[in-house]
Amino acid sequence: MSKLEIGNKNFLEHKEMSKEDNLKKNWKKDFPIEKQQATNVSRRDFAKFLTLVSGGLMVGSGLVTAKAYLYPKEEVAGEHFVCKKGEVPVGGTRAFVIEGSTIPYILIHLETGEFKAYEQKCTHLSCSVFYKPGTGIIHCPCHEGSFDAKTGNVLAGPPPRALPKLDVFFKDDAIYVRAEQEEKIG
Amino acid sequence: MSNFRRSQNQSNPNKLNAILSTLIFILIMNVTIQIWLLYAALNNALENNKEILIPAFVASLILFLIGFSLLYYMPTGNTNKKNTR
Repeated sequence: MSKLEIGNKNFLEHKEMSKEDNLKKNWKKDFPIEKQQATNVSRRDFAKFLTLVSGGLMVGSGLVTAKAYLYPKEEVAGEHFVCKKGEVPVGGTRAFVIEGSTIPYILIHLETGEFKAYEQKCTHLSCSVFYKPGTGIIHCPCHEGSFDAKTGNVLAGPPPRALPKLDVFFKDDAIYVRAEQEEKIG
Repeated sequence: MSNFRRSQNQSNPNKLNAILSTLIFILIMNVTIQIWLLYAALNNALENNKEILIPAFVASLILFLIGFSLLYYMPTGNTNKKNTR
């Protein structure tokens, strides 16, 4: 046997040994986590995750508060001309937009002779609402929401809030709107 | 030296189980209340009712702090018995 052959044989034996080692001993290195430990870890991680969600909700609540106080919703400033009284028949409506704003409004001439102005966006998902002549109801076709045309309050359907309102007043024959005057209570 | 945490970890696995389950239960309850608070705050913010916003945020903060401090009582498991004995 030459030296080379002996060397080769040793090498092969060594190789076989290391395979055996792998099978018998090293598998624990590959899977070092015991079952109990694994279950403990996942539940602990779940608890930590819940705390993270809790923190996220807290931050969200803080952002809502900050937004409401730092960037309040802009009120309509001043008085705006809409149209003449004669242009809107009884039971009719007229859409209008105030200068410098993109919010659509509707002016409604109720059967009682009153004029009312509301934002045309449904408070549910911002669909366009329209007045149903003769019923006193402002209707949202998207999800069958109904508002009272006299007050803007929700009568039926999914909308969570009343329609935002503008005050209507007259100068001779012209119809003007302005921001709703807050009713001071107490 | 032993502290509260280590003695808890050395206790019966049943006890660890109870601690962890209770903790998760409380955390889920906290998160539920917080979701409700956020929902209420958002609706009221859109309605221009600002009075409720700060109390809702403070309540949310307190609930988060409760949850966070409860993590101290979370068992780390008693798998390393060799080291502690």
